[in-house]
Amino acid sequence: MQQQLVQLVAAATQEASGVSTRAEMEAFKARVVGPNGSLTQVMKGLATLSKEDRPVVGKLINEAKKAVEELLATLQVKIEESEIAGALGAPLDSTLPSPDAPAGSLHPLSRTREKILSTLRKLGFTVAEGPEVETEWHCFDALNTPADHPARDMQDTLYLPKSFRSADAPRKGEEAILLRTHTSSVQVRTMLSRKPPFRIVAPGRCFRRDAVDATHSANFHQVEGLWIDRNVTLADLRGVLDFFVKETFGPEAEIRLRPSFFPFTEPSFEMDLRSPNLGRLSNRWLEIMGCGLVDPKVLELCGLDPNEWSGLAFGLGLERIAMLVHGIDDIRLFYNNDTRFLRQFA
Amino acid sequence: MKVSLQALARHVELAGVTPERLADILPMLGLEVESIQSFGLSPLPLVVVGEILSFEKHPKADRLSVCLVDVGEGAPRQIVCGAKNFKAGDRVPVALPGTLMPGGFEIKVSKLRDVDSMGMMCSAEELGLGKGEDGLLILPPRKPALGTPLNQLYGAPDTVLDISVTPNRGDCLGLRGLARDIAAALGLQLKPLSIKTAAGLASAPSAQEGFKFVRSSSEFCPYYTLRTLRNVKVGPSPEWMRRDLEAAGLRPINNVVDITNWVLLEVGQPLHAFDAKQVREGIEARPAREGEEIVLLDGKKVKLETGICVIADAERPLVVAGVMGGAESGVTSTTTDILLESAWFRPGEIRRVARRLGVSTDSSHRFARDVDPAGVELASRLATDLLIEYAGAQVVGPAVAVGQAPRADVTIELPAGYVAAKLGTAIAESDIIAAFTRLGFTVKPSAHGLSVVVPSFRSDVTRPIDLVEEFIRIYGTDKVPVGRPVAPLPGEEDALSSVFTREVSTRLAGAGFTECCHYSLRDAAELERTLGADKAAALALDNPLTADQTHLRASLLPGLAGALALNLSVHADPQGLFEVGTVFRPQADGTVREFISVAFAALAEPVVRSWKSREAFDGLRAKRLLQDVAALAGVSAVRLSFGPASSGLWQTNHAAALADRGRIAEGACGILDLRWTRLIGIKGSVVAGEIIFPRSAFAEIRKIPRYEAFSSFPPVTKDVAVIVPVGIAAAEVESRVRQGASKAAGKEFALESVNCFDVFNGVGLPEGCRSLAFEIRWRHAARTLTDEETNQALGVVIASLEKGAGWTVRR
Repeated sequence: MQQQLVQLVAAATQEASGVSTRAEMEAFKARVVGPNGSLTQVMKGLATLSKEDRPVVGKLINEAKKAVEELLATLQVKIEESEIAGALGAPLDSTLPSPDAPAGSLHPLSRTREKILSTLRKLGFTVAEGPEVETEWHCFDALNTPADHPARDMQDTLYLPKSFRSADAPRKGEEAILLRTHTSSVQVRTMLSRKPPFRIVAPGRCFRRDAVDATHSANFHQVEGLWIDRNVTLADLRGVLDFFVKETFGPEAEIRLRPSFFPFTEPSFEMDLRSPNLGRLSNRWLEIMGCGLVDPKVLELCGLDPNEWSGLAFGLGLERIAMLVHGIDDIRLFYNNDTRFLRQFA
Repeated sequence: MKVSLQALARHVELAGVTPERLADILPMLGLEVESIQSFGLSPLPLVVVGEILSFEKHPKADRLSVCLVDVGEGAPRQIVCGAKNFKAGDRVPVALPGTLMPGGFEIKVSKLRDVDSMGMMCSAEELGLGKGEDGLLILPPRKPALGTPLNQLYGAPDTVLDISVTPNRGDCLGLRGLARDIAAALGLQLKPLSIKTAAGLASAPSAQEGFKFVRSSSEFCPYYTLRTLRNVKVGPSPEWMRRDLEAAGLRPINNVVDITNWVLLEVGQPLHAFDAKQVREGIEARPAREGEEIVLLDGKKVKLETGICVIADAERPLVVAGVMGGAESGVTSTTTDILLESAWFRPGEIRRVARRLGVSTDSSHRFARDVDPAGVELASRLATDLLIEYAGAQVVGPAVAVGQAPRADVTIELPAGYVAAKLGTAIAESDIIAAFTRLGFTVKPSAHGLSVVVPSFRSDVTRPIDLVEEFIRIYGTDKVPVGRPVAPLPGEEDALSSVFTREVSTRLAGAGFTECCHYSLRDAAELERTLGADKAAALALDNPLTADQTHLRASLLPGLAGALALNLSVHADPQGLFEVGTVFRPQADGTVREFISVAFAALAEPVVRSWKSREAFDGLRAKRLLQDVAALAGVSAVRLSFGPASSGLWQTNHAAALADRGRIAEGACGILDLRWTRLIGIKGSVVAGEIIFPRSAFAEIRKIPRYEAFSSFPPVTKDVAVIVPVGIAAAEVESRVRQGASKAAGKEFALESVNCFDVFNGVGLPEGCRSLAFEIRWRHAARTLTDEETNQALGVVIASLEKGAGWTVRR
């Protein structure tokens, strides 16, 4: 019987090597361990043996059974692997390019805007927004701009016809409706609608009646900050601008405040920037933004008592900052939307 | 404003102050320096006076001449020259070999087309003398000796700064005002101004004067003075005056005109000289009458706007006050008697009138910025001195004045500690007093601080806060400390519309779209396509600059389609593009509302070939994107419904309009009108989507999601296929399935989802019908559902669906 078992295992091993499909495996399994299988037959013969022989033969049968089970387990793995390989098809060639398009990208003006906003958010400035079509009062009068100021001229500002009625900026009386020339109008709306103290930053699209060339654009973007509180000082203004510039242009960037004139701030300044890492514009004073302390007249016009409240304001052109940071030399690139330009900021 | 440093030095001592130093100081006073240029002849020792003895045509070049030039060396030099404007015997500047020209070019002995040339004869431009006449600079005959360095014929070179003066600083539109600021910054004294003509004004003309009256009846002319000068000899101005005018960029005309211009440059007060013989009876500043016309100095005949201020005689307007003189009454070479006007006009009106006439003169520029009323008489006296000295004028009596100075010095009470409080740093009172004193203000202590008298030349300083600016200009902004950052205020959040803009952009960029940015102003054709002609008109601008930017945009899609076309044309292989921005839409109530629009567009078939194909971008993927965008704005997909799109932007039957039950979002998606996209150069179809939200949609604070418990028992799914006429919308069928399945579940268990998994239009169906198959999923919260109850539920669904006319459920 021992001889018979050895032959049986050897035959099964031999046969197993030829099995390559699940069906063949099932048939093979039935031939060996099925109800009429060769091993089952041997096991049935065990009952006919004497009490003395049974333990010896039983042990031999168990060994053979174990060998067959191992054989089947190996076969099972082999079949599964072959089935999976068959289902998956050709192996992955990771050196081929992905046929899918890469992720998209944000516009450089959006990226610059978000960078600036996140910097100012650290200083407690939160975003405020307002309409692009504005009333003349919000854009000029409330900002202490005289009625005959050149900025109001039809030459410089885009107006809408008298018949135009804006749902977002209703006109009072006969005042004109125009495309805002700065986002300072959002500052006005905020001062009128909120109780100080607050710190806001107004990013947005502005318009001037300019012919388009390398440095001018019919519309452009500004980011303007306004901080209204008690006892806001020039030192605070320097603090905010210094922080902003170092975050945006690196720790070596320096600023200087150059006296200037705007109707809505007093004193007024142009802020110049000097930085060693601006390519060919490095280490020169560059005009970056206008700023100053909010003119008491503006506070009054916006319903705030200038004896109690004070403020600082600053405004910069997004295009100018993006051009400096990325070394872009033509403002029209922002609006042409050639993806060879846009994708450089992905 | 062009400022000659030599002229400036008449008012403030500039010895030891280099132009570079000045160009550093001025910006920090608020006076921007646009450029620094040299004026006059820079030192050129090897450029000498020469005389052209003879010349002949170059043998090998038609345009060149070979000249023999005597430069006082005994033997003449041979010089090849390209100019044509000379003759034999002319004296010209000759640059000898070794000269480094102002342009950086070195003159060498050379051969020009095989002919030796021993130097170069120069034009004014080559010598850095500005753009003179074409050709060589022809020098005066006879003197000095040949070979004399040209520098001996010219004064010392000057530096001219081009300074940009902000509108509040009219006082700096004269050299004296500018010098005052520089003196203050440098701690220097302003040099005294000496005037011989006596002060004093008469209230009416005397008998000797050539006119009977001086009057003002215009509200825009509150102060007017006029002086008579006789026996004037009109001729050229002295050389120094011509030089000063040229340095300032003005063209010398004759001594009388030049003197008025020179005084304007000097003290910033415009003057006007009339030819007295052209003035009938007297002078009146009065409102222009209806229909009056005038021929201006520049030869243009203009119709005068009724009511603007003119200076007229008894018969006709002579001058548009403060803006431009008339051709008839101006000084000419034959003038002998003049009337010299010095006046003050209302700044705003001058600005308005000048703009209306489309002119900006040196005069209107200054009057518009509020000249110093105290300078009116002073300028008249200064000009009178010069007319006596350089035009032989004889003065008749004092100037006649009408009205009075509209402004005087202003006293400002500056509270103690005010400056320090605005600067945020301690400031010594002595520093404040010193700064103001240097600016020419008078400072006295008062009960609560300082009392500061600001002279009338500074119309912009009227309040304590203005004094802070004056102080900081002189004290220096760099001395203000950098304040430390302050902690944010609690509870402050970004406007939710801006949060949405940021989130949606990030989302679309992540989905493979590239962000674009287009102009807001579009042309009429685009708006008509988007909205139709009637509505498009509501978005037209009043004063567009160019024909392609006449309307506010109503959609971002035309911009994106244009960008796809552009990128295809330059072979930049566009993927999907998107834009987020403001669009404008006319509303039913007649107003125009602003919306935040989110739009995207991509080619249905990619242009880049790939070894492995991917499913094309189609209208239903666009629909999914729109739903995702809406969800970011707080508009859930269940509120949205889709129906046929009707705008001219979309392809019929291949695009859908989106409607929001909450009446907030609007939008559309699908294929853009093919004839349009083909017209702009795109071959394949463009799949796009746009959704707009009013800004107010973001006003509410977004809800914080609350957790809801879910069942741990398995669901049961049942399929149902419905055959319906093709005209029935899939959404309607799905909605009916959903209603039935929900009703069937009753209160015992719950409908979890209804999912359309098959749409079939093929063989075997009744004519004009299609089959839609749905998978219904029910689940019980507390137990496993039985077959019996779900079969029963399915029965209820089938029964309810078959109530629809022409609806059958496939068995």
